[in-house]
Amino acid sequence: MGKIVEFLDYTFEYSGMERPAVEGVSFSVEEGEVAVLAGASGSGKSTILRSINGLIPHMYPGRRSGKVTVDGADVSSTPTYELARKVGFLFQNPENQIFMFTVEKDVAFGLENLGYEPEVIRRKVDWALGLLGISDLAKRSPSELSDGQKQRVALAGSLVMDPKILVLDEPTSLLDPRTAQDVVSLVSRLNKDLGLTVVLVEHRLELVSPMADRMVVLSGSRVWAEGSPAEVLGREGLHEVGLSPPAIVEVQKRLPSGDGLALDVDGFVRRFLADVGHRV
Amino acid sequence: MAHVMAEGFKFRYLKTPVHGLDPRVKLLMTAMLFALALLSSNLYQEALVFAAVGVPAALARSLKRLLRIAALSLTFSLMIFAVNMLFGQPLLESAVITIRFLGIVAATSVFFVTTSPDEIEYVMRWFRLPRDFVFAFATSIRFVPVLMMDLTQIIDAQRSRGLEMDRGNPVRRIRNLIPVLIPLIVNALVRSGELAEAMEARGYGAVSRPTSMHALLMKKNDYAALLVLVPAWSLLITYFLGLL
Repeated sequence: MGKIVEFLDYTFEYSGMERPAVEGVSFSVEEGEVAVLAGASGSGKSTILRSINGLIPHMYPGRRSGKVTVDGADVSSTPTYELARKVGFLFQNPENQIFMFTVEKDVAFGLENLGYEPEVIRRKVDWALGLLGISDLAKRSPSELSDGQKQRVALAGSLVMDPKILVLDEPTSLLDPRTAQDVVSLVSRLNKDLGLTVVLVEHRLELVSPMADRMVVLSGSRVWAEGSPAEVLGREGLHEVGLSPPAIVEVQKRLPSGDGLALDVDGFVRRFLADVGHRV
Repeated sequence: MAHVMAEGFKFRYLKTPVHGLDPRVKLLMTAMLFALALLSSNLYQEALVFAAVGVPAALARSLKRLLRIAALSLTFSLMIFAVNMLFGQPLLESAVITIRFLGIVAATSVFFVTTSPDEIEYVMRWFRLPRDFVFAFATSIRFVPVLMMDLTQIIDAQRSRGLEMDRGNPVRRIRNLIPVLIPLIVNALVRSGELAEAMEARGYGAVSRPTSMHALLMKKNDYAALLVLVPAWSLLITYFLGLL
Protein backbone atom coordinates (compact mmCIF):
# COMPACT_ATOMS: atom_id res chain seq x y z
CA MET A 1 0.00 0.00 0.00
CA GLY A 2 1.43 3.33 -1.04
CA LYS A 3 0.33 6.86 -1.64
CA ILE A 4 -2.18 6.92 -4.50
CA VAL A 5 -3.08 10.62 -4.31
CA GLU A 6 -0.56 13.18 -3.23
CA PHE A 7 -0.76 16.96 -3.01
CA LEU A 8 2.58 18.69 -2.51
CA ASP A 9 2.49 22.37 -1.56
CA TYR A 10 -0.28 22.82 -4.13
CA THR A 11 -1.68 26.24 -4.95
CA PHE A 12 -4.28 27.04 -7.59
CA GLU A 13 -5.87 30.35 -8.51
CA TYR A 14 -8.64 30.40 -11.14
CA SER A 15 -8.12 32.85 -14.00
CA GLY A 16 -9.72 36.17 -13.23
CA MET A 17 -9.91 35.56 -9.47
CA GLU A 18 -8.06 37.70 -6.97
CA ARG A 19 -7.03 35.04 -4.49
CA PRO A 20 -6.13 31.36 -4.70
CA ALA A 21 -8.88 28.76 -4.31
CA VAL A 22 -6.36 26.53 -2.53
CA GLU A 23 -2.99 27.56 -1.16
CA GLY A 24 -0.02 25.52 0.00
CA VAL A 25 -2.06 22.34 0.33
CA SER A 26 -0.15 19.17 1.20
CA PHE A 27 -1.70 15.84 2.08
CA SER A 28 -1.81 12.33 0.74
CA VAL A 29 -4.23 9.43 0.54
CA GLU A 30 -3.08 5.83 0.82
CA GLU A 31 -4.31 3.14 -1.55
CA GLY A 32 -7.57 1.61 -0.33
CA GLU A 33 -8.31 4.43 2.11
CA VAL A 34 -11.49 6.45 2.49
CA ALA A 35 -10.56 10.12 2.81
CA VAL A 36 -13.17 12.72 3.70
CA LEU A 37 -12.62 16.35 2.75
CA ALA A 38 -14.56 18.78 4.88
CA GLY A 39 -14.80 22.52 5.21
CA ALA A 40 -17.11 25.47 4.78
CA SER A 41 -18.35 26.57 1.34
CA GLY A 42 -15.58 28.25 -0.59
CA SER A 43 -12.81 26.58 1.42
CA GLY A 44 -11.43 24.87 -1.71
CA LYS A 45 -12.87 21.33 -1.46
CA SER A 46 -14.22 21.18 -5.02
CA THR A 47 -10.95 22.61 -6.36
CA ILE A 48 -9.07 19.78 -4.64
CA LEU A 49 -11.42 17.15 -6.14
CA ARG A 50 -11.17 18.63 -9.63
CA SER A 51 -7.40 18.67 -9.32
CA ILE A 52 -7.45 14.89 -8.78
CA ASN A 53 -9.16 13.99 -12.07
CA GLY A 54 -7.42 16.68 -14.09
CA LEU A 55 -10.39 19.00 -14.73
CA ILE A 56 -7.96 21.43 -13.11
CA PRO A 57 -5.75 22.53 -14.85
CA HIS A 58 -6.90 21.01 -18.20
CA MET A 59 -10.43 22.45 -18.23
CA TYR A 60 -10.04 25.37 -15.87
CA PRO A 61 -7.04 27.56 -16.62
CA GLY A 62 -5.32 29.41 -13.83
CA ARG A 63 -2.12 30.03 -11.96
CA ARG A 64 -0.74 27.02 -10.12
CA SER A 65 2.29 25.83 -8.26
CA GLY A 66 3.20 22.65 -6.40
CA LYS A 67 2.34 19.20 -7.62
CA VAL A 68 -0.55 16.74 -7.68
CA THR A 69 0.23 13.09 -8.31
CA VAL A 70 -2.44 10.44 -8.93
CA ASP A 71 -1.38 6.80 -9.12
CA GLY A 72 2.10 7.87 -10.10
CA ALA A 73 0.97 10.29 -12.83
CA ASP A 74 1.55 14.02 -12.66
CA VAL A 75 -1.96 15.41 -13.18
CA SER A 76 -0.78 18.57 -14.95
CA SER A 77 0.92 16.59 -17.73
CA THR A 78 -1.63 13.73 -18.04
CA PRO A 79 -4.67 14.23 -20.31
CA THR A 80 -8.09 14.00 -18.64
CA TYR A 81 -9.09 10.96 -20.69
CA GLU A 82 -6.04 9.10 -19.33
CA LEU A 83 -6.97 10.15 -15.81
CA ALA A 84 -10.57 9.01 -16.50
CA ARG A 85 -9.22 5.44 -16.51
CA LYS A 86 -7.79 5.92 -13.01
CA VAL A 87 -10.32 8.24 -11.40
CA GLY A 88 -14.10 7.84 -11.33
CA PHE A 89 -15.90 11.06 -10.48
CA LEU A 90 -19.38 11.36 -9.02
CA PHE A 91 -20.75 14.89 -9.11
CA GLN A 92 -23.23 16.49 -6.77
CA ASN A 93 -26.18 16.40 -9.15
CA PRO A 94 -26.56 13.01 -10.87
CA GLU A 95 -29.01 14.53 -13.36
CA ASN A 96 -26.18 16.48 -14.97
CA GLN A 97 -23.96 13.46 -15.57
CA ILE A 98 -26.46 11.14 -17.22
CA PHE A 99 -26.34 11.86 -20.94
CA MET A 100 -28.12 9.03 -22.67
CA PHE A 101 -31.73 7.93 -23.11
CA THR A 102 -31.43 4.62 -21.31
CA VAL A 103 -29.56 3.56 -18.20
CA GLU A 104 -27.42 0.90 -19.90
CA LYS A 105 -26.44 3.26 -22.71
CA ASP A 106 -25.39 5.86 -20.22
CA VAL A 107 -23.31 3.39 -18.24
CA ALA A 108 -21.63 2.40 -21.53
CA PHE A 109 -20.83 6.04 -22.40
CA GLY A 110 -17.35 6.19 -20.86
CA LEU A 111 -16.22 2.88 -22.35
CA GLU A 112 -17.47 3.93 -25.81
CA ASN A 113 -15.45 7.12 -25.44
CA LEU A 114 -12.34 5.08 -24.68
CA GLY A 115 -12.93 2.90 -27.76
CA TYR A 116 -13.59 -0.48 -26.12
CA GLU A 117 -14.96 -3.31 -28.28
CA PRO A 118 -18.78 -3.72 -28.11
CA GLU A 119 -18.59 -7.19 -26.48
CA VAL A 120 -16.27 -5.89 -23.75
CA ILE A 121 -18.56 -2.90 -23.16
CA ARG A 122 -21.59 -5.21 -22.86
CA ARG A 123 -19.81 -7.42 -20.32
CA LYS A 124 -18.56 -4.52 -18.21
CA VAL A 125 -21.91 -2.70 -18.30
CA ASP A 126 -23.74 -5.84 -17.10
CA TRP A 127 -21.15 -6.22 -14.33
CA ALA A 128 -21.52 -2.59 -13.17
CA LEU A 129 -25.32 -2.72 -13.25
CA GLY A 130 -25.27 -5.95 -11.23
CA LEU A 131 -22.74 -4.56 -8.75
CA LEU A 132 -25.01 -1.61 -7.98
CA GLY A 133 -28.20 -3.68 -8.01
CA ILE A 134 -29.78 -1.80 -10.89
CA SER A 135 -29.85 -4.47 -13.61
CA ASP A 136 -33.64 -4.16 -13.70
CA LEU A 137 -33.31 -0.48 -14.67
CA ALA A 138 -31.09 -1.18 -17.72
CA LYS A 139 -33.70 -0.25 -20.34
CA ARG A 140 -35.33 2.56 -18.36
CA SER A 141 -35.10 6.23 -19.26
CA PRO A 142 -33.23 8.46 -16.76
CA SER A 143 -36.29 10.70 -16.46
CA GLU A 144 -38.23 7.79 -14.91
CA LEU A 145 -35.75 7.28 -12.07
CA SER A 146 -35.72 8.52 -8.48
CA ASP A 147 -32.79 10.65 -7.27
CA GLY A 148 -31.26 7.69 -5.45
CA GLN A 149 -31.51 5.52 -8.56
CA LYS A 150 -29.95 8.30 -10.66
CA GLN A 151 -27.06 8.48 -8.20
CA ARG A 152 -26.52 4.72 -8.60
CA VAL A 153 -26.63 5.01 -12.40
CA ALA A 154 -24.04 7.79 -12.29
CA LEU A 155 -21.92 5.67 -9.96
CA ALA A 156 -22.20 2.69 -12.32
CA GLY A 157 -21.08 4.96 -15.18
CA SER A 158 -17.92 5.77 -13.22
CA LEU A 159 -17.20 2.27 -11.89
CA VAL A 160 -17.60 0.61 -15.27
CA MET A 161 -14.32 2.26 -16.30
CA ASP A 162 -12.59 0.25 -13.58
CA PRO A 163 -11.01 3.20 -11.76
CA LYS A 164 -8.62 2.84 -8.81
CA ILE A 165 -9.92 5.97 -7.17
CA LEU A 166 -13.49 7.11 -6.71
CA VAL A 167 -13.99 10.82 -6.13
CA LEU A 168 -17.37 12.00 -4.86
CA ASP A 169 -18.42 15.62 -4.61
CA GLU A 170 -21.18 15.90 -1.98
CA PRO A 171 -22.96 12.81 -3.30
CA THR A 172 -25.79 12.99 -0.77
CA SER A 173 -26.56 16.71 -0.74
CA LEU A 174 -29.68 16.32 -2.91
CA LEU A 175 -30.91 13.12 -1.29
CA ASP A 176 -33.29 12.42 1.58
CA PRO A 177 -31.65 11.04 4.77
CA ARG A 178 -32.50 7.42 4.09
CA THR A 179 -31.30 7.44 0.46
CA ALA A 180 -28.21 9.36 1.59
CA GLN A 181 -27.45 6.60 4.10
CA ASP A 182 -27.94 3.99 1.34
CA VAL A 183 -25.47 5.77 -0.95
CA VAL A 184 -22.87 6.08 1.83
CA SER A 185 -23.27 2.37 2.73
CA LEU A 186 -22.85 1.52 -0.94
CA VAL A 187 -19.64 3.54 -1.21
CA SER A 188 -18.35 1.87 1.95
CA ARG A 189 -19.11 -1.56 0.45
CA LEU A 190 -17.32 -0.64 -2.80
CA ASN A 191 -14.30 0.46 -0.81
CA LYS A 192 -14.20 -2.84 1.08
CA ASP A 193 -15.15 -5.23 -1.75
CA LEU A 194 -13.22 -3.67 -4.63
CA GLY A 195 -10.42 -2.09 -2.65
CA LEU A 196 -11.31 1.27 -4.20
CA THR A 197 -9.66 4.36 -2.81
CA VAL A 198 -12.38 6.87 -2.00
CA VAL A 199 -12.02 10.62 -1.71
CA LEU A 200 -15.22 12.41 -0.88
CA VAL A 201 -16.53 15.78 0.11
CA GLU A 202 -19.47 15.62 2.48
CA HIS A 203 -21.05 18.03 4.93
CA ARG A 204 -22.95 15.43 6.92
CA LEU A 205 -19.98 14.25 8.95
CA GLU A 206 -22.04 11.90 11.11
CA LEU A 207 -22.87 10.02 7.95
CA VAL A 208 -19.36 9.54 6.57
CA SER A 209 -17.10 9.66 9.64
CA PRO A 210 -17.69 5.99 10.49
CA MET A 211 -16.21 4.77 7.21
CA ALA A 212 -13.42 7.35 6.94
CA ASP A 213 -9.78 6.42 7.46
CA ARG A 214 -8.58 9.97 6.99
CA MET A 215 -10.14 13.38 7.32
CA VAL A 216 -8.82 16.61 5.84
CA VAL A 217 -10.41 19.87 6.95
CA LEU A 218 -9.93 22.93 4.78
CA SER A 219 -10.39 26.46 5.92
CA GLY A 220 -9.58 29.67 4.07
CA SER A 221 -8.08 27.70 1.15
CA ARG A 222 -5.57 25.91 3.43
CA VAL A 223 -5.47 22.61 5.27
CA TRP A 224 -6.71 23.32 8.80
CA ALA A 225 -6.46 19.79 10.13
CA GLU A 226 -5.54 16.36 8.84
CA GLY A 227 -5.56 12.98 10.49
CA SER A 228 -7.84 10.16 11.58
CA PRO A 229 -11.50 11.13 12.12
CA ALA A 230 -11.01 10.71 15.86
CA GLU A 231 -8.06 13.13 15.84
CA VAL A 232 -9.78 15.69 13.66
CA LEU A 233 -13.22 15.57 15.27
CA GLY A 234 -11.68 15.80 18.73
CA ARG A 235 -10.03 19.12 17.90
CA GLU A 236 -11.32 22.37 19.31
CA GLY A 237 -12.53 25.02 16.89
CA LEU A 238 -14.45 22.89 14.38
CA HIS A 239 -17.42 25.26 14.56
CA GLU A 240 -15.16 28.20 13.77
CA VAL A 241 -14.20 26.59 10.46
CA GLY A 242 -17.85 25.99 9.58
CA LEU A 243 -18.20 22.33 10.56
CA SER A 244 -20.72 20.57 12.75
CA PRO A 245 -19.15 17.48 14.29
CA PRO A 246 -21.41 14.47 14.93
CA ALA A 247 -23.79 15.10 17.85
CA ILE A 248 -22.21 12.37 19.96
CA VAL A 249 -18.86 14.14 19.78
CA GLU A 250 -20.49 17.38 20.95
CA VAL A 251 -22.18 15.62 23.86
CA GLN A 252 -18.97 13.97 24.93
CA LYS A 253 -17.09 17.24 24.82
CA ARG A 254 -19.69 18.95 27.02
CA LEU A 255 -19.63 16.31 29.74
CA PRO A 256 -18.27 17.84 32.96
CA SER A 257 -14.71 16.98 33.71
CA GLY A 258 -13.28 16.32 37.12
CA ASP A 259 -14.85 14.25 39.90
CA GLY A 260 -12.99 11.24 38.65
CA LEU A 261 -14.43 11.58 35.13
CA ALA A 262 -11.33 11.42 32.98
CA LEU A 263 -12.15 12.51 29.45
CA ASP A 264 -10.66 10.56 26.64
CA VAL A 265 -12.12 12.28 23.59
CA ASP A 266 -9.99 10.35 21.14
CA GLY A 267 -10.80 6.98 22.63
CA PHE A 268 -14.48 7.83 22.96
CA VAL A 269 -14.79 9.02 19.40
CA ARG A 270 -12.81 6.04 18.12
CA ARG A 271 -15.08 3.58 19.93
CA PHE A 272 -18.19 5.40 18.69
CA LEU A 273 -16.95 5.42 15.12
CA ALA A 274 -15.94 1.78 15.25
CA ASP A 275 -19.38 0.89 16.59
CA VAL A 276 -21.29 2.89 13.96
CA GLY A 277 -18.85 1.81 11.27
CA HIS A 278 -19.55 -1.80 12.13
CA ARG A 279 -23.25 -1.22 11.55
CA VAL A 280 -22.67 0.62 8.28
CA MET B 1 -49.51 25.08 -27.04
CA ALA B 2 -45.85 24.30 -27.69
CA HIS B 3 -45.93 21.98 -24.70
CA VAL B 4 -48.95 20.08 -26.11
CA MET B 5 -47.26 19.92 -29.52
CA ALA B 6 -44.06 18.56 -27.95
CA GLU B 7 -46.16 16.01 -26.07
CA GLY B 8 -47.64 14.86 -29.39
CA PHE B 9 -44.21 14.22 -30.87
CA LYS B 10 -42.91 12.55 -27.68
CA PHE B 11 -41.88 8.94 -28.23
CA ARG B 12 -43.70 6.18 -26.36
CA TYR B 13 -42.53 2.64 -26.89
CA LEU B 14 -45.28 0.23 -27.96
CA LYS B 15 -44.82 -3.37 -28.97
CA THR B 16 -45.99 -3.16 -32.58
CA PRO B 17 -44.55 -4.39 -35.90
CA VAL B 18 -43.69 -0.80 -36.88
CA HIS B 19 -41.97 0.15 -33.61
CA GLY B 20 -39.88 -3.02 -33.88
CA LEU B 21 -38.50 -2.17 -37.33
CA ASP B 22 -34.90 -1.14 -37.86
CA PRO B 23 -34.79 2.70 -37.58
CA ARG B 24 -33.17 2.90 -41.02
CA VAL B 25 -36.21 1.18 -42.52
CA LYS B 26 -38.49 3.58 -40.66
CA LEU B 27 -36.46 6.52 -41.95
CA LEU B 28 -36.67 5.22 -45.51
CA MET B 29 -40.43 4.72 -45.13
CA THR B 30 -40.80 8.28 -43.83
CA ALA B 31 -38.74 9.66 -46.71
CA MET B 32 -40.98 7.76 -49.14
CA LEU B 33 -44.16 9.11 -47.52
CA PHE B 34 -42.64 12.60 -47.42
CA ALA B 35 -41.86 12.44 -51.15
CA LEU B 36 -45.40 11.30 -51.91
CA ALA B 37 -46.89 14.11 -49.79
CA LEU B 38 -44.63 16.66 -51.48
CA LEU B 39 -45.47 15.49 -55.00
CA SER B 40 -49.24 15.15 -54.49
CA SER B 41 -50.94 17.63 -56.77
CA ASN B 42 -54.66 16.97 -56.44
CA LEU B 43 -57.19 15.88 -53.85
CA TYR B 44 -57.21 12.23 -55.06
CA GLN B 45 -53.47 11.94 -54.68
CA GLU B 46 -53.68 13.60 -51.28
CA ALA B 47 -56.30 11.07 -50.20
CA LEU B 48 -53.84 8.36 -51.28
CA VAL B 49 -51.08 10.00 -49.21
CA PHE B 50 -53.26 9.96 -46.10
CA ALA B 51 -54.16 6.33 -46.78
CA ALA B 52 -50.46 5.47 -47.19
CA VAL B 53 -49.60 7.26 -43.92
CA GLY B 54 -52.60 5.67 -42.22
CA VAL B 55 -51.45 2.07 -42.81
CA PRO B 56 -48.18 2.23 -40.78
CA ALA B 57 -49.82 4.56 -38.24
CA ALA B 58 -52.62 2.05 -37.68
CA LEU B 59 -50.15 -0.85 -37.46
CA ALA B 60 -48.20 1.19 -34.90
CA ARG B 61 -51.45 1.83 -32.95
CA SER B 62 -50.69 5.55 -33.26
CA LEU B 63 -53.53 6.75 -35.48
CA LYS B 64 -55.09 8.85 -32.72
CA ARG B 65 -51.78 10.53 -31.90
CA LEU B 66 -51.24 11.30 -35.54
CA LEU B 67 -54.69 12.88 -35.79
CA ARG B 68 -53.93 14.92 -32.68
CA ILE B 69 -50.69 16.20 -34.23
CA ALA B 70 -52.56 17.04 -37.45
CA ALA B 71 -55.22 18.87 -35.40
CA LEU B 72 -52.49 20.86 -33.61
CA SER B 73 -51.04 21.99 -36.92
CA LEU B 74 -54.48 23.12 -38.10
CA THR B 75 -53.94 26.77 -37.07
CA PHE B 76 -50.81 26.95 -39.21
CA SER B 77 -52.64 25.16 -42.03
CA LEU B 78 -55.42 27.73 -41.93
CA MET B 79 -52.79 30.48 -42.16
CA ILE B 80 -51.35 28.82 -45.26
CA PHE B 81 -54.84 28.63 -46.72
CA ALA B 82 -55.59 32.29 -45.94
CA VAL B 83 -52.26 33.53 -47.37
CA ASN B 84 -52.85 31.55 -50.59
CA MET B 85 -56.34 32.98 -50.95
CA LEU B 86 -55.04 36.48 -50.27
CA PHE B 87 -52.49 36.14 -53.03
CA GLY B 88 -55.17 35.19 -55.51
CA GLN B 89 -54.91 31.40 -55.60
CA PRO B 90 -58.19 29.69 -56.47
CA LEU B 91 -60.06 27.96 -53.64
CA LEU B 92 -59.24 24.44 -54.82
CA GLU B 93 -55.53 25.20 -55.33
CA SER B 94 -55.32 26.75 -51.85
CA ALA B 95 -57.02 23.68 -50.36
CA VAL B 96 -54.59 21.34 -52.17
CA ILE B 97 -51.58 23.28 -50.88
CA THR B 98 -52.98 23.31 -47.34
CA ILE B 99 -53.75 19.59 -47.36
CA ARG B 100 -50.30 18.91 -48.81
CA PHE B 101 -48.82 20.61 -45.75
CA LEU B 102 -50.96 18.42 -43.46
CA GLY B 103 -49.79 15.36 -45.40
CA ILE B 104 -46.15 16.33 -44.88
CA VAL B 105 -46.74 16.81 -41.14
CA ALA B 106 -48.47 13.42 -40.90
CA ALA B 107 -45.73 11.66 -42.92
CA THR B 108 -42.88 12.97 -40.75
CA SER B 109 -44.85 12.30 -37.56
CA VAL B 110 -44.92 8.57 -38.37
CA PHE B 111 -41.16 8.51 -37.90
CA PHE B 112 -41.11 10.46 -34.63
CA VAL B 113 -43.93 8.55 -32.95
CA THR B 114 -42.44 5.15 -33.81
CA THR B 115 -38.69 5.83 -33.41
CA SER B 116 -37.02 6.39 -30.05
CA PRO B 117 -34.42 9.17 -29.68
CA ASP B 118 -31.96 6.33 -29.07
CA GLU B 119 -32.71 4.85 -32.48
CA ILE B 120 -32.44 8.26 -34.13
CA GLU B 121 -28.99 8.57 -32.57
CA TYR B 122 -27.98 5.14 -33.93
CA VAL B 123 -29.05 6.20 -37.41
CA MET B 124 -27.07 9.44 -37.12
CA ARG B 125 -24.00 7.45 -36.09
CA TRP B 126 -24.63 5.01 -38.94
CA PHE B 127 -24.56 7.95 -41.35
CA ARG B 128 -21.18 8.77 -39.77
CA LEU B 129 -22.25 12.27 -38.78
CA PRO B 130 -19.65 14.05 -36.61
CA ARG B 131 -19.61 12.73 -33.04
CA ASP B 132 -20.02 16.21 -31.50
CA PHE B 133 -23.10 16.85 -33.62
CA VAL B 134 -24.72 13.52 -32.70
CA PHE B 135 -23.89 14.03 -29.02
CA ALA B 136 -25.33 17.55 -29.04
CA PHE B 137 -28.52 16.21 -30.61
CA ALA B 138 -28.78 13.37 -28.06
CA THR B 139 -28.21 15.56 -25.01
CA SER B 140 -30.58 18.27 -26.23
CA ILE B 141 -33.40 15.72 -26.45
CA ARG B 142 -32.37 13.99 -23.23
CA PHE B 143 -32.58 17.30 -21.34
CA VAL B 144 -35.97 18.44 -22.65
CA PRO B 145 -37.85 16.94 -19.64
CA VAL B 146 -35.22 18.34 -17.25
CA LEU B 147 -35.55 21.86 -18.69
CA MET B 148 -39.35 21.56 -18.66
CA MET B 149 -39.12 20.78 -14.94
CA ASP B 150 -36.78 23.76 -14.42
CA LEU B 151 -39.27 25.94 -16.30
CA THR B 152 -42.19 24.79 -14.14
CA GLN B 153 -40.22 25.46 -10.95
CA ILE B 154 -39.16 28.92 -12.11
CA ILE B 155 -42.73 29.83 -13.09
CA ASP B 156 -43.99 28.62 -9.68
CA ALA B 157 -41.25 30.57 -7.89
CA GLN B 158 -41.93 33.78 -9.80
CA ARG B 159 -45.70 33.45 -9.40
CA SER B 160 -45.28 32.96 -5.66
CA ARG B 161 -43.38 36.26 -5.71
CA GLY B 162 -46.29 38.02 -7.38
CA LEU B 163 -45.56 37.68 -11.10
CA GLU B 164 -48.84 37.62 -13.05
CA MET B 165 -47.91 35.97 -16.31
CA ASP B 166 -51.33 35.94 -17.93
CA ARG B 167 -52.16 39.57 -17.26
CA GLY B 168 -52.03 42.58 -19.55
CA ASN B 169 -51.86 43.21 -23.27
CA PRO B 170 -49.74 41.02 -25.60
CA VAL B 171 -46.66 43.27 -25.22
CA ARG B 172 -46.96 43.13 -21.42
CA ARG B 173 -47.34 39.35 -21.55
CA ILE B 174 -44.16 39.01 -23.56
CA ARG B 175 -42.38 41.25 -21.04
CA ASN B 176 -43.73 39.04 -18.25
CA LEU B 177 -41.69 36.18 -19.73
CA ILE B 178 -38.37 37.93 -19.03
CA PRO B 179 -38.25 37.01 -15.30
CA VAL B 180 -38.87 33.40 -16.32
CA LEU B 181 -36.51 33.18 -19.28
CA ILE B 182 -33.47 34.76 -17.62
CA PRO B 183 -33.25 32.25 -14.73
CA LEU B 184 -34.02 29.44 -17.18
CA ILE B 185 -31.12 30.44 -19.43
CA VAL B 186 -28.79 30.91 -16.45
CA ASN B 187 -29.80 27.46 -15.13
CA ALA B 188 -29.19 25.91 -18.53
CA LEU B 189 -25.74 27.51 -18.72
CA VAL B 190 -24.80 26.23 -15.26
CA ARG B 191 -26.10 22.80 -16.23
CA SER B 192 -24.09 22.78 -19.45
CA GLY B 193 -20.93 23.62 -17.48
CA GLU B 194 -21.54 20.64 -15.19
CA LEU B 195 -22.28 18.45 -18.21
CA ALA B 196 -18.99 19.44 -19.80
CA GLU B 197 -17.16 18.47 -16.60
CA ALA B 198 -18.92 15.10 -16.48
CA MET B 199 -18.10 14.47 -20.16
CA GLU B 200 -14.40 15.13 -19.53
CA ALA B 201 -14.47 12.90 -16.45
CA ARG B 202 -15.77 10.04 -18.60
CA GLY B 203 -13.20 10.29 -21.32
CA TYR B 204 -15.12 12.22 -24.00
CA GLY B 205 -12.85 12.86 -26.95
CA ALA B 206 -10.29 10.20 -25.96
CA VAL B 207 -10.41 8.50 -29.36
CA SER B 208 -11.31 9.97 -32.72
CA ARG B 209 -13.87 7.25 -33.46
CA PRO B 210 -15.66 6.07 -30.32
CA THR B 211 -17.22 2.60 -30.39
CA SER B 212 -20.86 1.74 -29.71
CA MET B 213 -22.30 -1.01 -27.52
CA HIS B 214 -25.26 -1.40 -29.88
CA ALA B 215 -25.03 -2.19 -33.57
CA LEU B 216 -27.89 -1.78 -36.04
CA LEU B 217 -28.81 -5.16 -37.51
CA MET B 218 -31.40 -5.80 -40.22
CA LYS B 219 -33.76 -8.64 -39.29
CA LYS B 220 -36.20 -10.73 -41.31
CA ASN B 221 -39.14 -8.44 -40.64
CA ASP B 222 -37.08 -5.45 -41.85
CA TYR B 223 -36.44 -7.15 -45.20
CA ALA B 224 -40.12 -8.16 -45.36
CA ALA B 225 -41.14 -4.53 -44.76
CA LEU B 226 -38.82 -3.40 -47.57
CA LEU B 227 -40.35 -6.00 -49.90
CA VAL B 228 -43.76 -4.40 -49.36
CA LEU B 229 -42.67 -0.77 -49.13
CA VAL B 230 -40.48 -0.43 -52.20
CA PRO B 231 -42.92 -1.86 -54.82
CA ALA B 232 -45.92 -0.04 -53.29
CA TRP B 233 -44.05 3.26 -53.24
CA SER B 234 -42.72 2.77 -56.77
CA LEU B 235 -46.25 2.21 -57.99
CA LEU B 236 -47.59 5.30 -56.22
CA ILE B 237 -44.75 7.59 -57.24
CA THR B 238 -45.12 6.50 -60.87
CA TYR B 239 -48.80 7.44 -60.67
CA PHE B 240 -48.03 10.75 -58.92
CA LEU B 241 -45.51 11.68 -61.61
CA GLY B 242 -48.12 10.98 -64.28
CA LEU B 243 -46.16 8.09 -65.76
CA LEU B 244 -48.89 5.53 -65.18
